Amino acid sequence: MMLVTGGIASGKRTYVRALGYANEQMDGCLDAPCPVLLDLDELLRAGDLDERDWERLLCKEVVVCHEVGMGVVPMDAADRAWRERVGATCARLAREASEVVRVVCGIPVFLKR
Amino acid sequence: MIALVTGGASSGKSAFAEKLACSLADTRTYLATMRDDCDEARSRIVRHQRLRQGLGFGTVECPDSLRPACAKGWHGGVALLEDLGNLCSNALFPPCGRASADDVLARLDAELSMLQTAFEHVVVVTVEAGCAADGTHASTADWLRVVGALGCALAERSDVVVEVACGIPCVIKGRLSWT
Repeated sequence: MMLVTGGIASGKRTYVRALGYANEQMDGCLDAPCPVLLDLDELLRAGDLDERDWERLLCKEVVVCHEVGMGVVPMDAADRAWRERVGATCARLAREASEVVRVVCGIPVFLKR
Repeated sequence: MIALVTGGASSGKSAFAEKLACSLADTRTYLATMRDDCDEARSRIVRHQRLRQGLGFGTVECPDSLRPACAKGWHGGVALLEDLGNLCSNALFPPCGRASADDVLARLDAELSMLQTAFEHVVVVTVEAGCAADGTHASTADWLRVVGALGCALAERSDVVVEVACGIPCVIKGRLSWT
């Protein structure tokens, strides 16, 4: 599984398409029968993933997540908790991933390969 | 050549971009994008003027459009555009009213391409701003999308892309012989 991270409008989805995936193969829902999961950060809005979610997540070929932890600490407590969930989930996912890519201005910068 | 320099706030992008621009040509034009409409902006402008003092830059004021830099045809030499974030802010949020994000994106993308018809080398400074949890406000989201999309478009056309962190340049596309 490859983890693709990067800021807003940094070119993550364009990069995944360049890997050969069509738009129809990407979805933001874990249950969708798609090899690419989009917006992992949105999935974490409601709370942490349970073990069944993890199993499904690890079956994906590509997981795309916004980098949300490089700005100021959010004013709202729920946003702070969410931001930490995203960071911790990405770190755990990166340990399982075979490749981790951070996209900067559309350029893939490999953090793990 | 076209070079794009990105990085966080106060990460050393300007100092690096100026060094890069100076290495490319002796005729140097600085495309300034900051509006001097408040004390904070004015002190920032003075800090940047001091940074490039003695480096031989002529300055063209381009707060919301790059047309002033291309108006006189071929300048040659190197143009240093600093920076894309300011240019997008000024274009999206003019003193009166609000411009459409799609219009600004299309216009600035075309103007960035036009720079290449006026200068031999173009160095553009942008900012890594989209890596935070604060993109939910509509105006902020528009700005992030325009800056991000222009950065991607420009990176694709660039010979060299450099990300600066803590003053340290990391070349993420192309090659610089002296870094």
